[in-house]
Amino acid sequence: MADVMAESEADVAVVGGGPSGLHAALVLARGGLSVVLLDESDTLGGQYYKRRAEQLTAAFGDFRPRGTELIRQVRAAGVDCRTGTLVWGAEDAGRTLFTSDVHTGALGRMSTRATLAATGAYERSLPFPGWTLPGVVTPGFALHLATMDRVPVGSRVVLAGTGPFLLPVACALLEVGVRIEALVELNHPYRPSASVVGGALRQPARLAEAARYLLTLARHGVRVEQGARVLAAYGDTQVTAVDIAGADGSVRRVETDALCVGFGFRPSTELPRLLGCRTQADPTGTEQLPVVDGDGATSVDGLYVAGDCAGIAGVHAAGVRGQLAAHAILRRLAPEPAPMRVAGLRRRARALNRFAALADRLYPLPAMADIPDDTQVCRCEGVSAGQIRQAAATGWNDLHGTKAATRAGMGPCQGRECGHIVAALAGRGEAESFAARMPVRPLPMTATVEGQEVP
Amino acid sequence: MSTSPLPETVTVTIDGTPSQAWAGQSVTAALVTAGIWPLRRNPVNGQLRGPFCGMGVCLECEVTINGRPGSRSCTAHVTDGMDIRTHTEPLPTAAHG
Repeated sequence: MADVMAESEADVAVVGGGPSGLHAALVLARGGLSVVLLDESDTLGGQYYKRRAEQLTAAFGDFRPRGTELIRQVRAAGVDCRTGTLVWGAEDAGRTLFTSDVHTGALGRMSTRATLAATGAYERSLPFPGWTLPGVVTPGFALHLATMDRVPVGSRVVLAGTGPFLLPVACALLEVGVRIEALVELNHPYRPSASVVGGALRQPARLAEAARYLLTLARHGVRVEQGARVLAAYGDTQVTAVDIAGADGSVRRVETDALCVGFGFRPSTELPRLLGCRTQADPTGTEQLPVVDGDGATSVDGLYVAGDCAGIAGVHAAGVRGQLAAHAILRRLAPEPAPMRVAGLRRRARALNRFAALADRLYPLPAMADIPDDTQVCRCEGVSAGQIRQAAATGWNDLHGTKAATRAGMGPCQGRECGHIVAALAGRGEAESFAARMPVRPLPMTATVEGQEVP
Repeated sequence: MSTSPLPETVTVTIDGTPSQAWAGQSVTAALVTAGIWPLRRNPVNGQLRGPFCGMGVCLECEVTINGRPGSRSCTAHVTDGMDIRTHTEPLPTAAHG
């Protein structure tokens, strides 16, 4: 292990090896720039193009071969792919990045001429009584178990929350033999009124995708219960039962081995916020998003964002946004920028953004006011909704004061699970976020001790 | 799906008990397959916790892997002979209720 930070440089650093970062890195490298692609994971692909392990691919086939092909092209184009590398800090408008090897803790400092944050998203969870019980998981966790590992999350499973993502998760669970006891959708998206269907008709491919999932579910006798929600989970050492409130207000108890609950996705914006880029409230009003132009340029000169980090819009938008940002960086840095036709990409990006806005209207979030006082909000520090409300009511009437008073958001996950909830419970109406600070991800102690030079 | 044979089975040890898993599976998958959901205690309130996000964000699935504590089981992959330790014994004293 090195005693000092290993120095390196490149024209462009792309942070995040998911669909957006991969598409961007490919365009940048083909345009003649030296590109470093950094990802905390040991394999490229991000969450959508997550790689099945070699041995499992040999037995079960390639999961999402388009991802395999994209990664092959990125490597062939000469992109310096640094997996297992965490970007935990940045300064100088993103032209300096601080990294850490996730296995050895070895620290690095990278100098660039431009940086693209393609850091993606994670799932949005909302607390309810019993949500910290083992066996209560995110839908994404159940999906990865089913698709990557070929392991059912349970024999009998309840899947709940809101959003289009619940449908592919349900289908993946069926494929590994799970019995879905209930599929509980908070909203009524699958009988949309004429006004919202208009928007969807411009994206027939996306509509067909949802229809295919619904057909698969119907074939397995799984009904999407709309307007319903999970009230509480019960169990001693792990979840064994769930209370579900139906659209008519009736409550029933369902026995289950696992409960998967998710409410869409939250953009992972720590890096651009750390660098001080201008932000604005996202459509849910619970997040701060980087303000970007049509190509992903932020208010910080030389810092770009693409993919879900710029606002949740899914894999297709991520690819298009990554390419647009890459073309913008090429126009700025490439020695001989080739004339690029980006008008088509911009049109496609706008259409996909409209479709994302439609999804926001179809799957609104529930009111945080409904979270019972004794429900834990901050999983790490064990802080309840009541404690947060009380702190906010007794003078700590903003997010940061409430955090200091209760420790909510100060645990190892750094508020990634609870930040949006604490903000909603303690905020003063406008969307707020915990400040992004270095290290933006937890670092092993060995890294800070041996690096010596941590700023 | 493919007609290829199943992946190579390897042996891991979970809290001293041998268990079978496929090489390359996530460690969380090996634990779930073995029916082991509680992995640790929350250090503040002593509650049992298990894997939650599955993508390295929540840190609820930390176990000791081959002697290295604080290893996220969701991002670690099974290898032959891997030693996995959970930490579900009650805390000596809970910090507060």
